[in-house]
Amino acid sequence: MKWIIYIVSAFTLLGCATTKQASVQLPGEDPQQTVAPDKNTSSAVISLLEKARDATTQGDYQRAEVLLERTVRIEPRNASLWHYLAKLRLHQARFSEAIGLAQKSNNLARSNNHLIADNWRIIAHSKYQLGDVAGAQAAQAKAKNLGNQ
Amino acid sequence: MARRPTRKRNPKKKASRRVNKARKPAKSSKTSKTKKTGSNKKSGKASKSRKAKQSDNSIVNFFKRIPWRRLILAGFLIFVAYTVYLDFVVRGQFEDKRWALPAQVYARPLELYEGLTLKANDFERELNLLNYRYAYDPTEAGMFQRYGNKFKIVTRPFTFWDVKESSQPIEVVFSGDQISSIKNTHNKKEIALLRLDPVLVGGIYPLKKEDRKLVSLNDVPELLPEILVAIEDRKFYDHYGIDPLAIARAFIANIRAGKSVQGGSTITQQLVKNFFLSNERTLWRKFNEVIMAVSLDFHYEKNDIIQAYINEIYLGQDGARAIHGFGLASEYYFAKPIHQLDLNQMATLVALIRGPSYYHPDKHPNRLLARRDRILDGLLEQKVISADLLTRTKALPINIVSNRQTGSRQHPAFLNLIKRQLRELYPESKLSSEGLRIFTTMNPVVQLDVEQRVKQRVEKLAKQRGLGKKLQSAVVIANSTSAEVIAMVGDRNPRFAGFNRALDASRPIGSLIKPVVYLAALEQSEKYNWASKIDDKSISLKARDESIWTPMNYDRQSHGSVTLITAMTKSYNQATVRLGLDVGFPAINKTYKNLGGPNDLPAYPAILLGAQNLTPFQVTQLYQTLAANGFRSPLRSIREVLDVDDQPLKRYPIKVKQSINSDLVNVINSGLIQVTKQGTARSLSNRLPADLHVAGKTGTTNDTRDSWFAGFTGSHVGVVWMGTDENLSTGLTGSSGALKLWGDIFTQINTTGLALEQTDGVDIQWVDPETGLLSKASCGNSLQLAFIDGTAPTESGECQGASTGSGIRDRFDRTVEWFKRIFR
Repeated sequence: MKWIIYIVSAFTLLGCATTKQASVQLPGEDPQQTVAPDKNTSSAVISLLEKARDATTQGDYQRAEVLLERTVRIEPRNASLWHYLAKLRLHQARFSEAIGLAQKSNNLARSNNHLIADNWRIIAHSKYQLGDVAGAQAAQAKAKNLGNQ
Repeated sequence: MARRPTRKRNPKKKASRRVNKARKPAKSSKTSKTKKTGSNKKSGKASKSRKAKQSDNSIVNFFKRIPWRRLILAGFLIFVAYTVYLDFVVRGQFEDKRWALPAQVYARPLELYEGLTLKANDFERELNLLNYRYAYDPTEAGMFQRYGNKFKIVTRPFTFWDVKESSQPIEVVFSGDQISSIKNTHNKKEIALLRLDPVLVGGIYPLKKEDRKLVSLNDVPELLPEILVAIEDRKFYDHYGIDPLAIARAFIANIRAGKSVQGGSTITQQLVKNFFLSNERTLWRKFNEVIMAVSLDFHYEKNDIIQAYINEIYLGQDGARAIHGFGLASEYYFAKPIHQLDLNQMATLVALIRGPSYYHPDKHPNRLLARRDRILDGLLEQKVISADLLTRTKALPINIVSNRQTGSRQHPAFLNLIKRQLRELYPESKLSSEGLRIFTTMNPVVQLDVEQRVKQRVEKLAKQRGLGKKLQSAVVIANSTSAEVIAMVGDRNPRFAGFNRALDASRPIGSLIKPVVYLAALEQSEKYNWASKIDDKSISLKARDESIWTPMNYDRQSHGSVTLITAMTKSYNQATVRLGLDVGFPAINKTYKNLGGPNDLPAYPAILLGAQNLTPFQVTQLYQTLAANGFRSPLRSIREVLDVDDQPLKRYPIKVKQSINSDLVNVINSGLIQVTKQGTARSLSNRLPADLHVAGKTGTTNDTRDSWFAGFTGSHVGVVWMGTDENLSTGLTGSSGALKLWGDIFTQINTTGLALEQTDGVDIQWVDPETGLLSKASCGNSLQLAFIDGTAPTESGECQGASTGSGIRDRFDRTVEWFKRIFR
C-alpha cells in the first residue's frame, strides 16, 4: 500500500506547514497527527489524491483544491476527503471554510477518533486565527480528549 | 486610397471619372430610372447657367468672386476626412466581430470509474450530446462504437482547469446499471478514473441575439471558400474590394430584366453589408459600402476577409436567435460540425446566402432546391466540380434536419442562472465577447429528462383541468451535499427564454413552511418530540389587518389531540398554527434563517401556514440544508471560469457551514420520510422502489393557486412548483400536481435513498403515530422515527393496526405497507 504512505506524507507536509505558527500560539498542541484515506476509498479517488499530493508538494494549492473537490463529488460520504479539503483551506488561510469542512468531516467520521481529533485541531487553529480564543480552546480540549481515549 | 482602383484602370479619363467617382458604383443597385434622372439633372444644370449668363451680369460676377479652388479643396478634404472616418468605423467592426467570442458554457464533465452507477443508455445519450459519431471501428477522437454493454470510444482531448486530458482509445463495460471496467485498448491498462470532455450547452451572446460559432479557415473544408468565390465573387482574389466590371454586368442584367436580378456585390461588400445589418438600398449607403469595402481590402488579407465572411454572413432565423456564419449554420441545419459538410450541404448553405427566408427550407423547399442546383451548375461551369459529381449531387435531396429548434440545445433557465451568478463579476458585454469558458454544474442528461417530464406532465394536467396554456411550472434539481444545481426549468416550454419562474416567480409556499415550524419545535427537545400531542382544534386569531383569521384543515375537519408526527404527515393546519404560536416567531425565524431563508419572516399567524412568498430556487436552498444533514451550502451553478487562453479566472468552491444540529436534522427527516410513506405524499411510495427512502413535503395554497412539492433523497434535492401567472385556482393540490411531476423526475434520474442515521445523539424507535407510544416494526401502523437521545417515549402501547383515518384508502395503504415490510 505504497500510495497510502505517499498521500499521508503529502498531507502531513500540509499539516506541518499550517500548524507551525499556530502551535506557538496554542501551547500544548500536538499537530503531528495525520490521517490515511478511508479503507474503502476507491481507486478512482486514490488516483485523484495522488495528483492532489503532487500539486500540494509543488505548492500549487489551487490545483490541489480542484482535485480534492472532484474526490468529494465522487465520494461525498468519505470523511477523510472532507478532512483533506479542510486542511488545504487551513493552509490557504481560508479559516471559516476550513471550519465548515472539518465539521462536515466529523459529521461523517463515525468512530474514527483519530480523524475526528485532527478535525478538531483544524477547527481550533481556524477559530484562533479568526479571533475566537474561547472557541479555539474548547475545540482543542475536544481534540485532546479524543487523543487520550 | 479609395480612389486607387479607378485611377489605375482609367488613367485617361481621370477628369470625368473624378466627377462621377462617388456615384458610379452606386448605380448598380439603382434601376434605369435613376440613371435617367441623373443625366437630366446634369443637362438641366448646364442650361440654367447659360440662361443666367445672358440675363444677369451681377450673378456672373458673384460666381467669379467665389473661390472655386478653395471650395473644391475644402470639399476634397471633407471627403478625405469622411473616408478616414468610414475606414475607422469598418475596421472597428471587423476587429470587434473577429474577436467577439461569446462565452462558451459547458455542462459538468462526466467522470467515469469502476462502480459508477450509470445506465448504459444514459451513457450513450451523453456521447450523442457530445456529438461523438458512431463508427464500426473507432479510430479518430470523437468516435464510438457500442455493442450491447460494451463501448469502444476514442476520447477527445480537452483542457480543464486542473488537468489537460489527452485523447485515448478506451473500452467501457457496463454490468447492470454500473460500470464494471474501463480499459485503455492501446496499452490494455485499467483506467482508474476517466473524465470525458464536457457537453457544450450554450453560449452567452450579445443583446442583438446574433448567434455564431466562430470557425477558423483551417476548420473549414477547402471546397467551401472555393464555392463562395465561384458563386458570389469570381474575382475575389484579384480585385480591391469592389469589382466595377461585375457591377457593370449586374447593371446591364438588371436593365435587361427590368428589375434587380443580380447583385454585383463582392464578398467584401457583402461582409460590410452584414456588419451594419441594414437592407435599405440608398445611394448614400452604397457609397459608404464601397468605401468601406475598399478600406477593408486595403487593411486585411484576403483570407482574413473570407474567414470573417464565413463567420458573419446571415444564414437563418431560429425564433429570436439569428443564425450567423457557416460554423453555426452547419450545426443548426445539418447537426454536424462544419468540417464534416459535404458538397450537397455546402451548396445548400451557399444557396441560403441570397435570402434565408426567401429560400426557407420548410416554407419554400422547391425554391431552395432550384437555387442549390443553379449553384451546382455554376460550379461545373467554373470547373470547381466534375460533371460526374454534379449529376450525383443533384440527385440528392436537401437533407436539412427537420426538428431543428429542439435539435439546438438551449436551456434558457439554466443559462439565466449562470448569467446572474456571473453578473456580480463580469458585465454582460464581457460575457458576450471575451470568449470565456464557463464550467457549470449542469447534468445535461438530467436537464433534458426534466425538460421532457415538465412538458408532458404539465400538458396532461392542463388538459385534465381545462387550464389550456395557462398552467405553468418550474423545477430546480440540485446535488444535496455539494449544492450544485444540476437541472433547472422555468417554463412549461423549457426552450422558451422568457419569464424564469424558477428564479423569479415568488409565490406563497404554503405547507412547505411546516418543516421549519416543526424543526423549531423539535429544537426544544425537552418539550417536543414526534410523539408529543398537540391540539388540532379550531382557532381564531387577529390577522394583520385586524380581521379575524380562522385557518381550516384541508378536509375542513378538526382531529382533536394528535401527535406531532400525524399533524405533520397529514399537514393539519390548526395543529400547526397552535404549535407555531407556542414555539414563537423568534425561534421559527431563527430556524428559517439557519436553513437559508433569504429574509426575516414577518411575525403574523398566516406565516405559520406559508404566507411567505419564495421562489422555487429559494425553497431549494431551504431544503438543501435538510438534505445535507444540516450543512448549508449556497446553491451553485458554476464551478470554474477560464479565459480564452485556458487560464483560470475564477473558481466557485464547495463551501459548507453547519447551521442546524445534525441530530435534529435526522429527527425532522425521519418525519419527512413518513410524509412520503403514509402522509400527503404517500402516492410516491407506489412509484419509487421500496428501498429508496425519500423525504419531502407537499404544499398547497388557498384555492389551489399554488401546487408545491419539495423533497430529497440521499443524493438529490428537488423542488417543483405548479400554478398560473395570473394567480388562478388550478384545482391542483401539492399531491395531485407538483408531486406527480416530482415523481416523474425522480423515477427517471439516478439517485440514492436517504438513510436514517443511528448516531450517538439519536435514538431510532418504532412508534404508534396515533398514541405516541412505543410500538414494534411488526405492528400494522407503526412508524420508524428518530428522537434526540433520551427523549423517545418509554411506554409501550398495544400492538394493533388501529386506523388514524376512517377511509378505506387509508386502510388499504397500510395493508400494502404492511405486506411490503414483511416481504422486503
